[in-house]
Amino acid sequence: MTMQVQHGGHVAAASSRGGWMGGEDLAAMVVFGLLAAIPLVTSGYAVYILPQYMLLGLLAMSLVILWGYGGIVSFGQAAFFAIGAYAMGLVMKHAALPINSAYLGILAGVAGAALVSLLIGHFLFSAGVRSTYFVVATLALSIIVEQTVKSFSDITGGWNGLYVDRMTLTLGPLVQLSLFDDMPMYYTVLAVVVPIYVAVAALMRARFGKIVVGIRENEDRMLALGFNVPAYKTLAFGLSGLLAGLAGALYATHASFAHPSNAGVLFSTQVVIWVAIGGRHSLLGAFAGAIVVASLSNYLSSIEAIQEYWPLVQGLVFIAVIVLFRNGLAGVVESLFGKKRHGRAA
Amino acid sequence: METVVSVFADTILITLVLAFAAFGLAIIYGLIGVINMGHGAMLTLGAYFTWWSTQHGVPFVPSVLLSAIAVGAVGLAFEHIIIRHFYNRPFDTLLLTWAFFLVTTEVIKIVFGTDFRNVPSPVDGAIDLEIYRVPAYKTIVGAVSISIIAGTALVFFKTALGIKIRAMIQNREVASLLGLNIAVMYKLVFAFGAFMAGLAGGLIAPMYSIDPYMGNTFLVRSFFVVIIGGVGQLLAGTLFGSFAIGGLETVLALFSDQVIAQIAVFFIAVLILRFRPQGVFTGR
Repeated sequence: MTMQVQHGGHVAAASSRGGWMGGEDLAAMVVFGLLAAIPLVTSGYAVYILPQYMLLGLLAMSLVILWGYGGIVSFGQAAFFAIGAYAMGLVMKHAALPINSAYLGILAGVAGAALVSLLIGHFLFSAGVRSTYFVVATLALSIIVEQTVKSFSDITGGWNGLYVDRMTLTLGPLVQLSLFDDMPMYYTVLAVVVPIYVAVAALMRARFGKIVVGIRENEDRMLALGFNVPAYKTLAFGLSGLLAGLAGALYATHASFAHPSNAGVLFSTQVVIWVAIGGRHSLLGAFAGAIVVASLSNYLSSIEAIQEYWPLVQGLVFIAVIVLFRNGLAGVVESLFGKKRHGRAA
Repeated sequence: METVVSVFADTILITLVLAFAAFGLAIIYGLIGVINMGHGAMLTLGAYFTWWSTQHGVPFVPSVLLSAIAVGAVGLAFEHIIIRHFYNRPFDTLLLTWAFFLVTTEVIKIVFGTDFRNVPSPVDGAIDLEIYRVPAYKTIVGAVSISIIAGTALVFFKTALGIKIRAMIQNREVASLLGLNIAVMYKLVFAFGAFMAGLAGGLIAPMYSIDPYMGNTFLVRSFFVVIIGGVGQLLAGTLFGSFAIGGLETVLALFSDQVIAQIAVFFIAVLILRFRPQGVFTGR
């Protein structure tokens, strides 16, 4: 019995260049437009916290590349996120260089996470490790990273976590912009997330994305067609690790903190939940899913009567999504749009 | 000499306890191919039920049995309501069983609270081997473990029910054409796996302090036990996998601290998974 996941034609349509893509572009403009407008109409906590959620959204997108497009579930995204976060914190703490140490930190986080994910991806995929075995290996990876940062406490701060400064942008030889205030931080994060979304969406629509989807749909056929399947899987995993590392590095400087729980299994699986709820086949859906679920969690946890029950509700919603709405919020929105479109045409 | 004996005794005990803890997972994974990410939660649930029951004056042994039956019933209900619709979608069963973990853990927190709980050990003391004292309760659990695993293997290889289950694993379609009710068999296997997890959870409860996440320590280790031993190799595979994981942990813990030993074991387990994905024990 093969362990391959079969997806319906409905799903294939969502990831091919159908009429929906125009819809997703439009939806992306709405989502990012809203995010850009929020600091103009409000200030305070929302402006402080939303960049964190956008970075969690970036982390969710990193999983969509693997899961939605490649059909590879990873329970290890938090490991790369934490590698990014700790690299950022450690470089900013120790580097005394003429260039901006935050830039070096981001570079170290991104490169470190990408390198580790490429190595692990190559190591496992080249031997044909797939499906559930891969999940167990990524699960172990999360635990290894979490335990490592916990036990080398003189370097990482152990259980207490690692303090990370808010970074400063160097925009030229003379122009410095501190991101200590929430407003510049907000737009900086947005200015990072939007181009990444556009680039990844374009990449997944291009040849690379089609090959990865092809591997998801029928790995043996792609092999027979002469594609180097392990290499493509490794690249997808590497790209996913790179984005997770970037999200982690920026998250650390935003939250002023890197913590072992950032690497943990529970956080890794939280990413899986966001993506399942947002829509496993949609970059934008997962991004929005992470923001919505994280905001809801935050809001509901602040209400005393509900806070105890919220994680339970989230678990039940997770079950309902898998059982009833396989394509998450994005799938629901898509089917609404599809109907409307159909109605107009008829 | 003392160290040798103590490491030897520890390794055997850890192997047997770990084999017991992993056995429910090995059954469900090996026989019906479901990656039961809720296995840890089933262990935890067994421990909490046992704690609750002993708190209410029920003696230890009936408490453990009742807990195992209760966890088996929870597993049966979960299978019937949700899992049975997803047998042909392994990734979805993986996510759903993880959701089972999340929901069960939260329910445990709400019902039993998040404080550490303790079940007093029903058997105190140790067996004196002159040079090393073997903890008595652990020894009993080890003996129960090996008897239950061997008993299950006996059923598996020597009875009509065992033949049916093996037929089902070998070829589901043909077995069903020969008149086997596959749906019922799957249900039974899933419930039996849950029962075993509950039993293990109840029995290991006196050895650890109980908290809502206690099962997670065993979840990933159990996976490695099953994978290293070889999926479907119930008797020899489970014991060998537990010996590899538990033995490595004991030996490595001699040279470094516990946490680093665990990191190293997971690392080695991933290496084994890569180079012998079919398991060390299987000759395939």
